[in-house]
Amino acid sequence: MEKNNRFPFEEDNYTHNINRNNERKLDRRGFMKTLAGAAGVFAVSSLPWGALAAKELMGLGEKEYPHQKITDIAAIPIGDSVEFAFPGEHDSALLIRLGENKFVAYQNACTHLRCPVYWVKAEGEIICPCHHGKFDVKTGEPTAGPPRRPLPEIIVKVEKGAVYAVKVKRYEG
Amino acid sequence: MKAKNMRFILMCMVLFLNIIFTQKMVHQYFYENYKNALIYCALNLVIFPAALFLYKYDVKKLKGADRG
Repeated sequence: MEKNNRFPFEEDNYTHNINRNNERKLDRRGFMKTLAGAAGVFAVSSLPWGALAAKELMGLGEKEYPHQKITDIAAIPIGDSVEFAFPGEHDSALLIRLGENKFVAYQNACTHLRCPVYWVKAEGEIICPCHHGKFDVKTGEPTAGPPRRPLPEIIVKVEKGAVYAVKVKRYEG
Repeated sequence: MKAKNMRFILMCMVLFLNIIFTQKMVHQYFYENYKNALIYCALNLVIFPAALFLYKYDVKKLKGADRG
């Protein structure tokens, strides 16, 4: 080493870093040991999946917010929309009445750059004015423009002549 | 077949099952069959002590064979 402490070593073989006889040899026992270790790694790495599955089973993933009244049915004619905030006071959302008893609601931040989207009754589409993104009103899927992901749907419930927001639907990419 | 080779094949089976269970677990999780995902997770966990026992047993047997 004193002689050629430079890089690369002036050596005619690649064994200078092997110190022990058969150091690189994988014998039967070494292989068995590796497999036992691999089983351990598999076991440990499956723990988070199990934890997540257990969490889903116990229903912790589906968060339900306190029901929030959006509007009275009498106050919203068929084909009109109303803005509200759900679940937080800054999460603005849009309720659209499509039929006699058919309501849909979406969080109204465009999935492109979070501009507020508007329900345009004449065209029957949800439109984002910033970059002309369009969304299908029945599903929230993007139909035109830059957005590629659907609007997060809010599940609503009609009760005693009023519409209530129940929960935000899980995002499914 | 010699018992020594049997243990070797068993160990390879352990690795094979590990791979299968992990694959199944992940897929069942994404198909939202959380109960099945949990079952496969448990199988994966159970198989580790079995593998460890198999390894220890193998070492013991081989030692006996060497001396005797």
